[in-house]
Amino acid sequence: MQKKQIAITLGIMCFALTMAIVIQLRTVYSSTSTVPQVLVEDSLRDEVLRWKEKYDNTYGELTESTKRLEEIRKLATQNDITSMAKQQEITESNMLLGLTEVTGPGFQIILSDNNTGITSEGNKVLDISSQIVHYDDLLQVVNALNNAGAEAISINGHRLVQTTAITCEGNIIKINGQRISSPFTIKAIGSPATLSGSLTMIGGYLYIMQEDGVNVQTSQSDSLVVEAYNGVINYKYIKLKK
Amino acid sequence: MILIAIVIGCILGAVIGIYAPMVPYTYSGYLAIAIIAALDSVFGGIAATLNKNFDLKIFVTGFFGNAILSILLTYLGQKLNVDIYLAAIVVFVGRMFNNLAIIRRYYLNKWPSKKEENKNETEKSK
Repeated sequence: MQKKQIAITLGIMCFALTMAIVIQLRTVYSSTSTVPQVLVEDSLRDEVLRWKEKYDNTYGELTESTKRLEEIRKLATQNDITSMAKQQEITESNMLLGLTEVTGPGFQIILSDNNTGITSEGNKVLDISSQIVHYDDLLQVVNALNNAGAEAISINGHRLVQTTAITCEGNIIKINGQRISSPFTIKAIGSPATLSGSLTMIGGYLYIMQEDGVNVQTSQSDSLVVEAYNGVINYKYIKLKK
Repeated sequence: MILIAIVIGCILGAVIGIYAPMVPYTYSGYLAIAIIAALDSVFGGIAATLNKNFDLKIFVTGFFGNAILSILLTYLGQKLNVDIYLAAIVVFVGRMFNNLAIIRRYYLNKWPSKKEENKNETEKSK
Protein backbone atom coordinates (compact mmCIF):
# COMPACT_ATOMS: atom_id res chain seq x y z
CA MET A 1 0.00 0.00 0.00
CA GLN A 2 2.79 2.34 1.05
CA LYS A 3 4.80 1.48 -2.05
CA LYS A 4 1.81 1.98 -4.33
CA GLN A 5 1.20 5.41 -2.86
CA ILE A 6 4.81 6.40 -3.36
CA ALA A 7 4.77 5.15 -6.94
CA ILE A 8 1.64 7.13 -7.78
CA THR A 9 2.94 10.35 -6.22
CA LEU A 10 6.29 9.96 -7.92
CA GLY A 11 4.53 9.33 -11.22
CA ILE A 12 2.43 12.47 -10.84
CA MET A 13 5.48 14.51 -9.94
CA CYS A 14 7.49 13.27 -12.86
CA PHE A 15 4.50 14.00 -15.04
CA ALA A 16 4.37 17.60 -13.81
CA LEU A 17 8.15 17.99 -14.07
CA THR A 18 8.53 16.68 -17.61
CA MET A 19 5.52 18.66 -18.75
CA ALA A 20 7.05 21.84 -17.36
CA ILE A 21 10.44 21.05 -18.90
CA VAL A 22 8.95 20.37 -22.34
CA ILE A 23 6.85 23.54 -22.23
CA GLN A 24 9.91 25.53 -21.21
CA LEU A 25 12.01 24.00 -23.99
CA ARG A 26 9.37 24.86 -26.56
CA THR A 27 9.10 28.41 -25.25
CA VAL A 28 12.86 28.91 -25.36
CA TYR A 29 13.13 27.41 -28.86
CA SER A 30 10.29 29.45 -30.29
CA SER A 31 11.41 32.82 -28.97
CA THR A 32 14.64 34.54 -29.81
CA SER A 33 16.03 35.38 -26.41
CA THR A 34 17.99 38.56 -25.81
CA VAL A 35 21.46 37.03 -25.86
CA PRO A 36 21.22 35.51 -29.35
CA GLN A 37 19.64 38.75 -30.55
CA VAL A 38 22.74 40.68 -29.53
CA LEU A 39 24.91 38.08 -31.23
CA VAL A 40 22.87 38.31 -34.42
CA GLU A 41 23.08 42.07 -34.34
CA ASP A 42 26.85 41.94 -33.87
CA SER A 43 27.36 39.54 -36.72
CA LEU A 44 25.15 41.66 -38.98
CA ARG A 45 27.15 44.74 -38.08
CA ASP A 46 30.37 42.86 -38.82
CA GLU A 47 29.01 41.83 -42.17
CA VAL A 48 28.03 45.37 -43.04
CA LEU A 49 31.53 46.58 -42.15
CA ARG A 50 33.09 43.82 -44.21
CA TRP A 51 30.95 44.68 -47.21
CA LYS A 52 31.77 48.34 -46.78
CA GLU A 53 35.47 47.53 -46.77
CA LYS A 54 35.05 45.34 -49.83
CA TYR A 55 33.14 48.10 -51.56
CA ASP A 56 35.81 50.65 -50.72
CA ASN A 57 38.56 48.36 -51.99
CA THR A 58 36.70 47.65 -55.20
CA TYR A 59 35.94 51.30 -55.67
CA GLY A 60 39.62 52.13 -55.24
CA GLU A 61 40.47 49.52 -57.86
CA LEU A 62 37.90 50.98 -60.21
CA THR A 63 39.35 54.46 -59.81
CA GLU A 64 42.82 53.14 -60.53
CA SER A 65 41.62 51.21 -63.54
CA THR A 66 39.89 54.28 -64.93
CA LYS A 67 43.10 56.23 -64.53
CA ARG A 68 45.08 53.51 -66.29
CA LEU A 69 42.53 53.39 -69.09
CA GLU A 70 42.88 57.12 -69.50
CA GLU A 71 46.66 56.80 -69.75
CA ILE A 72 46.47 53.96 -72.22
CA ARG A 73 44.04 55.94 -74.33
CA LYS A 74 46.37 58.89 -74.27
CA LEU A 75 49.33 56.74 -75.30
CA ALA A 76 47.39 55.02 -78.05
CA THR A 77 46.14 58.23 -79.54
CA GLN A 78 49.34 60.19 -79.29
CA ASN A 79 50.22 60.08 -82.96
CA ASP A 80 46.77 60.04 -84.44
CA ILE A 81 44.93 63.32 -84.89
CA THR A 82 41.41 61.90 -85.35
CA SER A 83 41.67 59.58 -82.35
CA MET A 84 43.15 62.42 -80.36
CA ALA A 85 40.08 64.45 -81.15
CA LYS A 86 37.90 61.51 -80.10
CA GLN A 87 39.87 61.20 -76.88
CA GLN A 88 39.32 64.87 -76.21
CA GLU A 89 35.62 64.38 -76.80
CA ILE A 90 35.43 61.45 -74.35
CA THR A 91 37.23 63.42 -71.65
CA GLU A 92 34.95 66.39 -72.16
CA SER A 93 31.82 64.24 -72.13
CA ASN A 94 32.89 62.56 -68.91
CA MET A 95 33.53 65.96 -67.39
CA LEU A 96 30.09 67.19 -68.39
CA LEU A 97 28.46 63.98 -67.12
CA GLY A 98 30.07 64.53 -63.76
CA LEU A 99 32.25 61.42 -63.88
CA THR A 100 35.48 63.29 -63.21
CA GLU A 101 36.61 65.62 -60.49
CA VAL A 102 36.46 69.20 -61.71
CA THR A 103 37.81 72.46 -60.44
CA GLY A 104 37.12 76.12 -61.10
CA PRO A 105 35.97 79.34 -59.50
CA GLY A 106 32.84 78.91 -57.47
CA PHE A 107 30.71 79.47 -54.44
CA GLN A 108 30.51 77.36 -51.29
CA ILE A 109 27.58 77.27 -48.87
CA ILE A 110 27.47 75.53 -45.51
CA LEU A 111 23.97 75.04 -44.10
CA SER A 112 23.50 73.57 -40.65
CA ASP A 113 20.58 73.04 -38.30
CA ASN A 114 20.13 75.59 -35.56
CA ASN A 115 19.11 73.81 -32.40
CA THR A 116 19.02 76.84 -30.11
CA GLY A 117 15.50 77.94 -31.04
CA ILE A 118 16.53 81.58 -31.35
CA THR A 119 16.30 83.59 -34.58
CA SER A 120 19.05 85.84 -35.96
CA GLU A 121 17.36 88.81 -34.27
CA GLY A 122 17.47 87.09 -30.88
CA ASN A 123 13.78 86.29 -30.61
CA LYS A 124 12.41 82.91 -29.68
CA VAL A 125 11.29 80.99 -32.74
CA LEU A 126 7.66 79.87 -33.00
CA ASP A 127 8.25 76.75 -35.05
CA ILE A 128 11.58 75.02 -34.44
CA SER A 129 11.11 73.11 -37.68
CA SER A 130 11.82 76.30 -39.63
CA GLN A 131 15.40 76.30 -38.26
CA ILE A 132 16.19 72.85 -39.61
CA VAL A 133 17.52 72.27 -43.11
CA HIS A 134 14.92 70.27 -45.03
CA TYR A 135 15.30 68.49 -48.32
CA ASP A 136 13.22 71.08 -50.10
CA ASP A 137 15.62 73.75 -48.86
CA LEU A 138 18.40 71.88 -50.63
CA LEU A 139 16.24 71.57 -53.74
CA GLN A 140 15.54 75.30 -53.72
CA VAL A 141 19.22 76.16 -53.26
CA VAL A 142 20.27 73.79 -56.05
CA ASN A 143 17.58 75.22 -58.30
CA ALA A 144 18.73 78.76 -57.60
CA LEU A 145 22.36 77.77 -58.24
CA ASN A 146 21.45 76.17 -61.56
CA ASN A 147 19.42 79.24 -62.44
CA ALA A 148 22.48 81.37 -61.75
CA GLY A 149 24.58 79.32 -64.14
CA ALA A 150 26.28 76.74 -61.93
CA GLU A 151 28.14 74.18 -64.02
CA ALA A 152 28.88 71.55 -61.38
CA ILE A 153 27.29 71.12 -57.96
CA SER A 154 27.99 68.73 -55.12
CA ILE A 155 26.39 68.36 -51.70
CA ASN A 156 28.52 66.77 -48.95
CA GLY A 157 30.72 65.23 -51.62
CA HIS A 158 27.84 63.79 -53.65
CA ARG A 159 27.93 65.14 -57.18
CA LEU A 160 24.62 66.16 -58.68
CA VAL A 161 24.22 64.52 -62.08
CA GLN A 162 21.23 64.28 -64.40
CA THR A 163 19.82 61.27 -62.52
CA THR A 164 20.27 62.74 -59.04
CA ALA A 165 17.26 62.86 -56.77
CA ILE A 166 17.16 64.64 -53.43
CA THR A 167 14.62 62.86 -51.27
CA CYS A 168 13.35 62.97 -47.73
CA GLU A 169 13.30 59.60 -45.92
CA GLY A 170 11.81 60.21 -42.52
CA ASN A 171 14.34 62.32 -40.68
CA ILE A 172 17.24 61.88 -43.09
CA ILE A 173 17.95 63.26 -46.53
CA LYS A 174 19.14 61.05 -49.33
CA ILE A 175 21.14 62.14 -52.35
CA ASN A 176 21.98 59.61 -55.07
CA GLY A 177 20.52 57.02 -52.70
CA GLN A 178 23.04 57.82 -49.96
CA ARG A 179 22.23 59.34 -46.60
CA ILE A 180 23.54 62.74 -45.69
CA SER A 181 22.91 64.92 -42.70
CA SER A 182 23.52 68.40 -41.38
CA PRO A 183 25.83 70.28 -41.88
CA PHE A 184 25.40 70.39 -45.63
CA THR A 185 28.32 71.67 -47.69
CA ILE A 186 27.12 72.75 -51.11
CA LYS A 187 29.81 73.49 -53.67
CA ALA A 188 29.01 75.01 -57.04
CA ILE A 189 31.32 75.95 -59.87
CA GLY A 190 30.32 79.02 -61.83
CA SER A 191 30.70 82.76 -61.60
CA PRO A 192 31.20 83.32 -57.84
CA ALA A 193 29.64 86.78 -57.86
CA THR A 194 26.52 85.70 -59.78
CA LEU A 195 26.00 82.59 -57.68
CA SER A 196 26.51 84.48 -54.46
CA GLY A 197 24.31 87.36 -55.49
CA SER A 198 21.39 85.26 -56.65
CA LEU A 199 21.16 83.50 -53.30
CA THR A 200 22.15 86.09 -50.74
CA MET A 201 20.35 89.11 -52.14
CA ILE A 202 17.42 90.41 -50.12
CA GLY A 203 14.63 87.95 -50.86
CA GLY A 204 17.10 85.33 -52.08
CA TYR A 205 16.70 81.86 -50.69
CA LEU A 206 19.72 81.92 -48.40
CA TYR A 207 18.63 85.33 -47.11
CA ILE A 208 15.24 83.87 -46.19
CA MET A 209 16.83 80.86 -44.52
CA GLN A 210 19.15 83.08 -42.52
CA GLU A 211 16.17 85.16 -41.41
CA ASP A 212 14.49 81.96 -40.20
CA GLY A 213 17.53 81.21 -38.08
CA VAL A 214 19.27 78.45 -40.03
CA ASN A 215 23.05 78.68 -39.74
CA VAL A 216 24.31 79.80 -43.16
CA GLN A 217 27.96 80.31 -44.06
CA THR A 218 29.03 81.30 -47.54
CA SER A 219 32.38 81.78 -49.19
CA GLN A 220 33.54 82.57 -52.71
CA SER A 221 36.57 80.80 -54.05
CA ASP A 222 38.78 80.96 -57.12
CA SER A 223 39.61 77.28 -57.16
CA LEU A 224 36.85 75.10 -55.80
CA VAL A 225 37.11 71.33 -56.27
CA VAL A 226 33.84 69.50 -56.97
CA GLU A 227 33.96 65.74 -56.48
CA ALA A 228 33.20 63.19 -59.18
CA TYR A 229 29.97 61.17 -59.20
CA ASN A 230 30.82 57.87 -57.52
CA GLY A 231 27.86 55.86 -58.75
CA VAL A 232 27.06 54.21 -62.03
CA ILE A 233 24.66 55.77 -64.52
CA ASN A 234 22.37 52.99 -65.71
CA TYR A 235 20.04 53.15 -68.66
CA LYS A 236 17.54 50.61 -69.81
CA TYR A 237 14.96 52.37 -71.94
CA ILE A 238 16.63 55.18 -73.84
CA LYS A 239 17.91 54.58 -77.38
CA LEU A 240 19.30 56.81 -80.06
CA LYS A 241 16.65 58.05 -82.44
CA LYS A 242 17.58 57.37 -86.04
CA MET B 1 6.77 -0.58 -9.64
CA ILE B 2 8.21 2.82 -8.71
CA LEU B 3 10.38 2.83 -11.82
CA ILE B 4 7.41 2.01 -14.05
CA ALA B 5 5.38 4.82 -12.49
CA ILE B 6 8.25 7.28 -13.07
CA VAL B 7 8.66 6.23 -16.72
CA ILE B 8 4.91 6.42 -17.41
CA GLY B 9 4.77 9.84 -15.72
CA CYS B 10 7.68 11.13 -17.79
CA ILE B 11 6.24 9.89 -21.09
CA LEU B 12 2.77 11.26 -20.32
CA GLY B 13 4.27 14.58 -19.25
CA ALA B 14 6.36 14.89 -22.40
CA VAL B 15 3.43 14.06 -24.67
CA ILE B 16 1.07 16.49 -22.96
CA GLY B 17 3.82 19.11 -22.77
CA ILE B 18 4.25 19.00 -26.55
CA TYR B 19 0.57 19.72 -27.09
CA ALA B 20 0.16 22.13 -24.19
CA PRO B 21 -0.13 25.87 -24.89
CA MET B 22 3.16 27.77 -24.77
CA VAL B 23 4.09 30.01 -21.86
CA PRO B 24 4.65 33.68 -22.71
CA TYR B 25 8.35 34.48 -22.80
CA THR B 26 8.12 36.87 -19.84
CA TYR B 27 6.88 34.05 -17.59
CA SER B 28 9.29 31.39 -18.86
CA GLY B 29 11.88 32.62 -16.37
CA TYR B 30 9.56 31.71 -13.47
CA LEU B 31 8.85 28.32 -15.01
CA ALA B 32 12.58 27.69 -15.38
CA ILE B 33 13.28 28.42 -11.71
CA ALA B 34 10.33 26.18 -10.73
CA ILE B 35 11.79 23.38 -12.84
CA ILE B 36 15.16 23.74 -11.11
CA ALA B 37 13.45 23.60 -7.70
CA ALA B 38 11.43 20.52 -8.69
CA LEU B 39 14.51 18.76 -10.09
CA ASP B 40 16.28 19.45 -6.81
CA SER B 41 13.36 17.90 -4.91
CA VAL B 42 13.40 14.81 -7.13
CA PHE B 43 17.11 14.23 -6.64
CA GLY B 44 16.66 14.84 -2.93
CA GLY B 45 13.89 12.25 -2.93
CA ILE B 46 16.05 9.69 -4.69
CA ALA B 47 18.93 10.30 -2.31
CA ALA B 48 16.54 9.97 0.65
CA THR B 49 15.17 6.68 -0.72
CA LEU B 50 18.70 5.32 -0.96
CA ASN B 51 19.39 6.37 2.64
CA LYS B 52 16.10 4.75 3.67
CA ASN B 53 14.76 7.89 5.32
CA PHE B 54 12.31 8.81 2.58
CA ASP B 55 9.21 10.63 3.83
CA LEU B 56 6.40 11.14 1.36
CA LYS B 57 5.01 14.20 3.15
CA ILE B 58 8.35 16.00 3.17
CA PHE B 59 8.92 15.06 -0.43
CA VAL B 60 5.55 16.32 -1.71
CA THR B 61 5.62 19.56 0.27
CA GLY B 62 9.25 20.12 -0.78
CA PHE B 63 8.41 19.54 -4.43
CA PHE B 64 5.56 22.03 -4.62
CA GLY B 65 6.67 24.32 -1.80
CA ASN B 66 10.14 24.91 -3.20
CA ALA B 67 8.79 25.49 -6.71
CA ILE B 68 6.20 28.02 -5.56
CA LEU B 69 8.56 29.71 -3.12
CA SER B 70 11.26 30.10 -5.76
CA ILE B 71 8.73 31.61 -8.19
CA LEU B 72 7.59 34.07 -5.52
CA LEU B 73 11.18 34.98 -4.66
CA THR B 74 12.01 35.54 -8.32
CA TYR B 75 8.98 37.77 -8.67
CA LEU B 76 9.94 39.71 -5.54
CA GLY B 77 13.49 40.06 -6.86
CA GLN B 78 12.20 41.47 -10.11
CA LYS B 79 10.09 44.01 -8.23
CA LEU B 80 13.05 44.99 -6.04
CA ASN B 81 15.48 44.93 -8.98
CA VAL B 82 17.65 42.32 -7.25
CA ASP B 83 18.49 39.05 -9.01
CA ILE B 84 17.20 36.80 -6.24
CA TYR B 85 16.74 33.95 -8.71
CA LEU B 86 20.54 33.70 -8.88
CA ALA B 87 20.62 32.82 -5.18
CA ALA B 88 17.85 30.28 -5.71
CA ILE B 89 19.77 28.69 -8.58
CA VAL B 90 22.97 28.54 -6.53
CA VAL B 91 21.19 26.87 -3.61
CA PHE B 92 19.21 24.41 -5.70
CA VAL B 93 22.04 23.42 -8.02
CA GLY B 94 24.42 23.11 -5.07
CA ARG B 95 21.99 20.77 -3.34
CA MET B 96 21.49 18.89 -6.57
CA PHE B 97 25.22 18.21 -6.73
CA ASN B 98 25.19 17.07 -3.09
CA ASN B 99 22.32 14.68 -3.75
CA LEU B 100 23.96 13.40 -6.93
CA ALA B 101 27.15 12.78 -4.95
CA ILE B 102 25.16 10.77 -2.38
CA ILE B 103 23.53 8.72 -5.14
CA ARG B 104 26.88 8.15 -6.85
CA ARG B 105 28.58 7.02 -3.64
CA TYR B 106 25.74 4.67 -2.86
CA TYR B 107 26.09 2.88 -6.19
CA LEU B 108 29.89 3.04 -6.12
CA ASN B 109 29.88 1.27 -2.76
CA LYS B 110 27.40 -1.27 -4.03
CA TRP B 111 29.16 -2.12 -7.28
CA PRO B 112 32.45 -3.76 -6.10
CA SER B 113 30.70 -5.77 -3.38
CA LYS B 114 28.33 -7.21 -5.95
CA LYS B 115 31.27 -8.27 -8.10
CA GLU B 116 32.91 -9.95 -5.15
CA GLU B 117 29.70 -11.79 -4.31
CA ASN B 118 29.49 -13.06 -7.85
CA LYS B 119 33.10 -14.22 -7.65
CA ASN B 120 32.47 -16.01 -4.39
CA GLU B 121 29.44 -17.73 -5.84
CA THR B 122 31.33 -18.95 -8.90
CA GLU B 123 34.19 -20.20 -6.70
CA LYS B 124 31.77 -22.02 -4.50
CA SER B 125 30.11 -23.73 -7.41
CA LYS B 126 33.50 -24.93 -8.59
